Amino acid sequence: MTLQSKVGVFAGAALLRLVLSTAFPSLPDLLTGRVEISTPVTSFKRLQEGLFLYNHNVWPYDGGVFHQAPLLLPLFSLLPDVKTWPIFTSLLYILVDLLSAYALLVIADSGEAGQSKHFTSPRRAKRSSGLLVAAAFLFNPYTIAASIGRSTSVFTNCAILFAIAKALSGSPFNAMVAISFASYLSMYPLLLLPPLVLLAYDRQSEKRRIDSAIQFSIRAILIAAACISLLLAMSFALTGNSWDFLARTYGIQLTLSDLTPTVGLWWYFFIEIFDSFRAFFLAVFWLHLVIYVGGLSIRLRTQPLAVLTILLGIFAVFKPYPSISDTSLFLAMLALFRHLYPIMRYTYVASATMLYATFLGPAFYHLWIYAGSGNANFFYAITLVWSLGQSLFVSDLTFAVLRDEWEVERPEMVGKEIRQI
Amino acid sequence: MPRLLSTALSLRRDPRLLKIPPYVSAFCIAIGVVWLLLLPLDDYSRRTYVSENALLPGQVHTYFGGSEQSIFRGFRHEVDLLASKNNYEVNDKLESILTGFGVKVGRQNYTYHSAGEIYSGENVYGILQAPRGDATEAIVLVAAWKSIDEQLNRNGVALVLTLARYFKRWSLWSKDIILLLPPDSTTGTQAWVDAYHDAHDSKHIAPLPLKSGALQGALAIDYPFEHRYHELHIIYDGTNGQLPNLDLINSIVNIAGGQMGIETTVQQMAGHTDSYQDRLQTMLRGMLYQGLGYPTGPHSSFIPYHVDAITLQPTGEGWHDEMAMGRVVEGSFRSLNNLLEHLHQSFFFYLLMQKNRFVSIGTYLPSAMLLAANFTIMAIFLWVKSGQPMAKKGTADKPKDGRNLLSPLALVATCHSISAIPLFIFNHLGIKTLPLAFLLFSVSSTVLPAAFSFLIASLHKPTSQFFQLTKSFSLLILGVSLATLSTLNFSLAFLVGLLASPLTFIQPTKNLVTKAFLAILLILTSPPVIISSAAWTSGVAMSEVLKAASLGWNVWGMYTPIIVWCVWWPAWLIGMTNTLSPISKI
Repeated sequence: MTLQSKVGVFAGAALLRLVLSTAFPSLPDLLTGRVEISTPVTSFKRLQEGLFLYNHNVWPYDGGVFHQAPLLLPLFSLLPDVKTWPIFTSLLYILVDLLSAYALLVIADSGEAGQSKHFTSPRRAKRSSGLLVAAAFLFNPYTIAASIGRSTSVFTNCAILFAIAKALSGSPFNAMVAISFASYLSMYPLLLLPPLVLLAYDRQSEKRRIDSAIQFSIRAILIAAACISLLLAMSFALTGNSWDFLARTYGIQLTLSDLTPTVGLWWYFFIEIFDSFRAFFLAVFWLHLVIYVGGLSIRLRTQPLAVLTILLGIFAVFKPYPSISDTSLFLAMLALFRHLYPIMRYTYVASATMLYATFLGPAFYHLWIYAGSGNANFFYAITLVWSLGQSLFVSDLTFAVLRDEWEVERPEMVGKEIRQI
Repeated sequence: MPRLLSTALSLRRDPRLLKIPPYVSAFCIAIGVVWLLLLPLDDYSRRTYVSENALLPGQVHTYFGGSEQSIFRGFRHEVDLLASKNNYEVNDKLESILTGFGVKVGRQNYTYHSAGEIYSGENVYGILQAPRGDATEAIVLVAAWKSIDEQLNRNGVALVLTLARYFKRWSLWSKDIILLLPPDSTTGTQAWVDAYHDAHDSKHIAPLPLKSGALQGALAIDYPFEHRYHELHIIYDGTNGQLPNLDLINSIVNIAGGQMGIETTVQQMAGHTDSYQDRLQTMLRGMLYQGLGYPTGPHSSFIPYHVDAITLQPTGEGWHDEMAMGRVVEGSFRSLNNLLEHLHQSFFFYLLMQKNRFVSIGTYLPSAMLLAANFTIMAIFLWVKSGQPMAKKGTADKPKDGRNLLSPLALVATCHSISAIPLFIFNHLGIKTLPLAFLLFSVSSTVLPAAFSFLIASLHKPTSQFFQLTKSFSLLILGVSLATLSTLNFSLAFLVGLLASPLTFIQPTKNLVTKAFLAILLILTSPPVIISSAAWTSGVAMSEVLKAASLGWNVWGMYTPIIVWCVWWPAWLIGMTNTLSPISKI
């Protein structure tokens, strides 16, 4: 992989986004309005609302529309007005996408997917080059749509990828800072902390090594806690010395009080549920999301990167406000496990399912909202199919990781048919 | 259960299993077609019924008649006098007439460009404000100056003017009544409806000076002749195959048939005997119009905005006069006036077999879905097959771990991206060059696959896996697109699916006779050949077809060209390339 081809891929991706958003000036606004891209907690339109209030010295959460982290406001108020100079906003998002791709490049080139500290895959010889992984991320239509739709989850994705990349390159401190940023922006990346700490522990640099796992974890968690506290304190100062922003940002995610449709599974369920059961099911849904972290981290202790990937896939399906941006992150991470593709079984069916959902989703949303000839069930049915496709990928990847591990223990079973009993 | 599962799993490796999918595909197509043919039977179609209780069709006494007839004759005389005048002079006169009743009048200029021609005109419309309403809802009465067949809509316009004067004197309206008099039946209403919803292109279409509330329904009158008529022809197809709520059609059928004793008919099926053949013919005509997606009358433009609309067209020789027509309109407006909310109770997806017999989406959708499924089944089958080593050949040279995806994907992507060329050409060229462009395109479309297969053969020694994968991807895209389309425009999805069905069964072969047969079959079912033969059988000049398609795209946003050029044609291109390619010896 030469520097030239790297520059070529990055420049090509940047140019493609720039051309798309300048040649079709109505495209960014169109994509921003799509429920598949913009969720209540990542929508650029809602950010604009918050920004307007913020710039007019009104508490940004007063409108009841804006639910994103307060520190995004000073960042975006630095940019020129998006209506008159959309190019600067586009450039910011392009930059963030390129940074994410760079982080992916680092992750892929580390070879962690095939060979971690405690586990060496017999298939590791066949790996995809970092450039290919970065290109798969940059030219993935979902990534492009999320970037042009200016969803703020792009920043979270970038922070998560940087956290992983930094953990791999032996700088736990930077990794913790990055994951703190991601958690501050979207909250759910906090759940990635355990596997990330394990990953960072495995990949410590020799110079500043801490042998005790417990000591290392405590330090890492303290760093993350300190960093998050600092960010929250800044937000506190920014929103008029009040903690009310917590309820309006993370509170919304915890209680799902905004029932705008998304591609996820929560909104329809909580529209239908009787109020007396709401609290119970909220707890159940969140518990379900959290429960994978411990189990996967313990079972796949030897491959923390696989744990992170599987968790990202699970979050893209089961978190309160998922969007295609989360899917694009999972798919980008999936590309790292090239050596496992031969033992994955449902890639084609899963891709076909997601392709079907990608086409049918907008059609059914149109029938429901615009044509008036369908109803909410149409769109919800297709989000179920979408989630099915993704969970097929997640379970298939889990299967492949486990099978790969198992074949090291039982070399005589290589290539044999197995079945679950 | 575990034992059953393990048997199923061991069956998975059975080579016999791989022989089944092509038959399943063929079976899907056969069932899909037979299913459609079964629909006209009594067991599969239902009688229509009015679902919306508020409509109460035919429950009011209608008073239009008597001295109104003299007024009607007067207005018809006025219209006759205007016959040779230009659009603006006509509108000046119409405006003065409408203002005379105390109706507020607005005018709107518009210009459309399509196929190098300019379609421009001026709409005139009046808003009759509801004595009992608050201008939040409105019903539209349309009479285009030129009827659908480009004749002077003498009785239609005169009737609307008479009705306007008559309605103005009633105090029972709770919704505003908008009287729209566009200069033609095609572009005028579209410009007006777009501007009413502020969705117009402000460079070419003027905004409306005067507006009322949300449109609840629209009725257009297409009545160009003098003589007495026998029945009312209800035209209901909207742009892109969208349909108005079935309750609107039911109400009109009910009012005309039950109250006035006027026969009604759909899809130009005069003298419908309610036999199987007649029902099937009605349904197929409906599907053809729906599939073309081309607007069928002034009402068509309303339907994309979720405004239920139909055109009433008197036909045949009989004893009903214009007053009876007026009473039908009065009765329908009284029903619409009763509505408490937008029409939503009844069906939006249906196929009519007869004025009072229909099938709903749940019953007919499986036939299109089966056609789409046949492509997906074949795609999955080919994917599985491409991953398996050749059975008879030695194991030494079996392709190393599966599939080379890059080149098949590149071919499929190329074919799909060049499909932008015909889409652009046919929607942007002028009428003079269109027929020539079509001819050139047809020729190059036939030559292109040969060039492709030659290129592929010389570039990288294609294996049969390459063809399996290209076909798999292409059929997957086709299946997905058609399945999506069938929820939006069932008929178009069904027609394209049926015409593309040979693509499921083609493959590269060494046998020259089979190859020639497949190639001829594919050429016969290629989009350009189908389009020109359809034009030839219906007796329309090719240039007219191309002009209409371009007009549909540029004015109404008709998406049929996208389906033909960007979904069907690339799939055909890949199929033809596969057929012509020499199969290599592995």
